[in-house]
Amino acid sequence: MERVIADLVQSLDSGRIDRREFCKAVALAAAVYGAGDAAQAQAQRGFKIIGVNHLSYTCPDYTKARDWYTSVLNMKSEPTRDDGKRANLMFGPEPGKGGSFLVTRNPGNVASGSAGAKPGAEAVIDHICYTIPNWDEARVRATLKAKGLDVTGRDGSLHVYDPFDYDVQIASAAAENAFRR
Amino acid sequence: MEGFVAKQVHDYQNGKISRRRLVEILTFAATTAYAGKGALGAEQSGLDAALVNHVSYTCPDFRRAADWYSMVFNLDQVGASARDVALPFGKRGEKPYGVTDDDVPLTHMICRTRPLDASAGNGPPRRKANAVIDHIAFTVADFDRERAKAQLAAVGVKNVRDGGPFSVYVDDPFGYEVQIAGLGVTAICGAEARATCSDTR
Repeated sequence: MERVIADLVQSLDSGRIDRREFCKAVALAAAVYGAGDAAQAQAQRGFKIIGVNHLSYTCPDYTKARDWYTSVLNMKSEPTRDDGKRANLMFGPEPGKGGSFLVTRNPGNVASGSAGAKPGAEAVIDHICYTIPNWDEARVRATLKAKGLDVTGRDGSLHVYDPFDYDVQIASAAAENAFRR
Repeated sequence: MEGFVAKQVHDYQNGKISRRRLVEILTFAATTAYAGKGALGAEQSGLDAALVNHVSYTCPDFRRAADWYSMVFNLDQVGASARDVALPFGKRGEKPYGVTDDDVPLTHMICRTRPLDASAGNGPPRRKANAVIDHIAFTVADFDRERAKAQLAAVGVKNVRDGGPFSVYVDDPFGYEVQIAGLGVTAICGAEARATCSDTR
């Protein structure tokens, strides 16, 4: 990217392109950079997984879960999707650009096509681990303590329980990485 | 973006910043503008969940689950042990989609077989939760519902249900519900509302 922009500046200085063209070219370069991963993905056969789109979390009182996740993990509740029975809590990159969300919902509130919570399923997601960037052990522990949470785990990889005793793990990139297991 | 660039060029042409500085500023802006996080994001307080690090999936036979997820989503299996294996959402060295931070690794799924009350973080046995993640949705590139159904049928996945026009639901080998969606299914425009949603991302 730096090479591309340096070449554009040179073109601007030498008069090959004008200022307006320069601005458009830089904006286009940024857009192409952002779309690069998607373009590469399309070249593959079958599903190319980009990430977790959302997690559907059913609990007795979605507002308690909503308030906990927005407070502890800085998730952002999308106001237009809070209908008194569920809320969509966003985190990570922007919506539509790799972002994820946690749906906190009351029992019986299921999406079209979804079977909802299935007692017959033989598998469970027993916890979710979230990456916290710029990990600072003391700050992370102090923040959790200030929220009144009991913390277990090891440095860089901590566990707490949400209001419904669901296990939530938070970790640094150094402590939790698939390629360093 | 263009307005920002125009201002930097103006400063450069008026001698307020050097050419080297101009290149640095524009490089930084161009590589963060579409990542959803820039300098503005640093103002948040508390813990900032940047991404799902991993999903811990427990079932009676982790190898069978891992093979299914590998087959359907083209995932490699790494770090296998006698009781679990990890499936990263990409190759070593890749960054997660939409993420530029160096300390946010690829999301991965851990398929494991262990007691449900196994210790959480070396503490006492895990509590029995009064909440459940009843399904998980994965974003896949270039999603098209009909093509997705054909792809799933080709690998023997049955009971594929429409999840609105922009996603499908399937059950994995252990009856766990998995939703497959495109990038356009967001917290603002869920799969059902996508067709009429004013958000055009």
